[in-house]
Amino acid sequence: MIKLTSDQLDQFITSLAEMWEVRLPILLSDGTRIIGSLKDGPLALLGGAILSKPTAAFFPQHGTVFIATEDGVPESTDSLQPIFILGFTPRDLACLRFIDRFFADGFCDDLYFHQRKSAVVAGISGYCGPYGSLLAPAGGDCDLEFFWEGSSWLVIPYSSAGKALVAEFTDSAPPEAENRYRQAVMTPPDENERFLRRASELLRGNSVPDSFWVEIGDRCIACTGCNLACPTCTCFGVQDWRSAKRVERSRMWDSCQLDGFMREASGHNPLGSEAERSRRRIHHKLAADPEKWGEISCFLCGRCDAVCPTGIGIIAVARELVTRFG
Amino acid sequence: MSDTPCQRSLYQPFDCEIITVTDLTSAEKLFRVRRMDGLPLGHLPGQFVQVSLLGWGEAPISVASSPTREGAFELGVRNAGSLTSAMHLMQAGDTFGVRGPFGRSFDLQRLHGQDLLLISGGCGLAPLRSLIQYCEDRPDEFDQITVLYGAKSPGDRLFKDELAAWEASARFACSLTVDSVPGGDCFSGSVGLITALIPPLTIVPENTVAVVIGPPAMYRAVIAELKKKELGPERIVVSLERQMRCGVGKCGHCTIEHLYCCQDGPVFWLDEIEHLRGAL
Repeated sequence: MIKLTSDQLDQFITSLAEMWEVRLPILLSDGTRIIGSLKDGPLALLGGAILSKPTAAFFPQHGTVFIATEDGVPESTDSLQPIFILGFTPRDLACLRFIDRFFADGFCDDLYFHQRKSAVVAGISGYCGPYGSLLAPAGGDCDLEFFWEGSSWLVIPYSSAGKALVAEFTDSAPPEAENRYRQAVMTPPDENERFLRRASELLRGNSVPDSFWVEIGDRCIACTGCNLACPTCTCFGVQDWRSAKRVERSRMWDSCQLDGFMREASGHNPLGSEAERSRRRIHHKLAADPEKWGEISCFLCGRCDAVCPTGIGIIAVARELVTRFG
Repeated sequence: MSDTPCQRSLYQPFDCEIITVTDLTSAEKLFRVRRMDGLPLGHLPGQFVQVSLLGWGEAPISVASSPTREGAFELGVRNAGSLTSAMHLMQAGDTFGVRGPFGRSFDLQRLHGQDLLLISGGCGLAPLRSLIQYCEDRPDEFDQITVLYGAKSPGDRLFKDELAAWEASARFACSLTVDSVPGGDCFSGSVGLITALIPPLTIVPENTVAVVIGPPAMYRAVIAELKKKELGPERIVVSLERQMRCGVGKCGHCTIEHLYCCQDGPVFWLDEIEHLRGAL
């Protein structure tokens, strides 16, 4: 385990810029923390998860599929500098692991893996959550992890790429710092995990009446914030942007909370009501994905609950489900 | 994250040329198409392709011809949106892009040796035609073949010449109907819902597979009639329409609970999906 002071971390990050496109949490002048470049603001590692979708690094809100010129021949895509991204919390890393599986399964999504496969992903954990709260270590799911133990960073490399990046450093963490890390690993699970698991059981057991979804649907204003913030929401639409001499085909995040999400050209709409769409949002994470992938695809990052203006993020709905239906 | 096996882009269409365009009805056309690289499409009956028109995007279209008919493939296209409107303006010699074929085809192994009851309504005849043509070309693979087809009106019937040929063929028992005949039209065929064609049939449930393709409202009514004939859900096949945006199980627009219609379907055995909300 390597120990780095904040200054040493700054130097380490600066040294990466030559080889890597470095993305990390920064503070904007309006007080917002985003994943960005140090050119745009100072480093802001402390404070917990970034509110925006962290997986946008590899699945951007708007991404080019291809560009065709007048004669229809696609232009080649330039190779890009590999990404070093720092700032995924352990829950974000679980989300990334999930969508890595999703995009690799069956037909491998080359647009996603174009930058993902060469990227180095660094997690952050330790006492760097909101107001110094503890983010339990990920212990994996990334190339290397930075654990804030209160006054310095402990660096734990996992993959060969992560080990290569910190090869110049020697194991220097004092025993007491390592002890703090080990204690953090023992952190009991979030109580919301219990609610999520129970809500999943209720949904998979068909124990939730339709009237519940009518209530939730009535409270949804279809702002789509939940989908836009969720790190495991991967739905997208495809559209062409025409200009004088070229066409750009692109894909853009889409939301299952919109009426047109599944509407077909014939007019048939399998998700034709707010109730159906609200059910789909929750059911997909808690019942459909466990059926297909063997795990719930919500990792309790809390973003949808944070952004929802009417209080029907997935944790709130799961708690309500369990309270009302057992 | 270095060993993920990605080949050429999933989303890059290949070029196809239109050989002929035929009017099927006032709203539907049949495009006979070949790959510009000379390769066969490589599809199986029941699969679909993503048709790509630069500037218009993509749309999922069922392949309406059997792979046994080599040299070209056919797409039946209803003028129902911006892309299909643009497509209806295209002529022989024009080109467009195609990705695919995608999705699960009819399970020809399970259909082998069975009596087939092939039921379609409206545009559903286009995807079913790929299987009907396959049956025409491989007649020894199946037992008795019955074709039932319903359209809204005589003018809405697709593939009129082929319907007449199937009616005349000794290989098929073929019954056709229309929901209604507009005033002034001259029509001597059967009038009524397609469900009325099922009760008179003699079905041997243990040796019959029914394939049903049509508009959403048709499935429940037809399936109810088939169940009255003691045909179980493990012997009924449906092909479902959804708004596939990618065709490869990524975009999320065609999910039916945990299934992705574009990959797990569009062809399903009824017992796989009848318990899933929103499937039918």
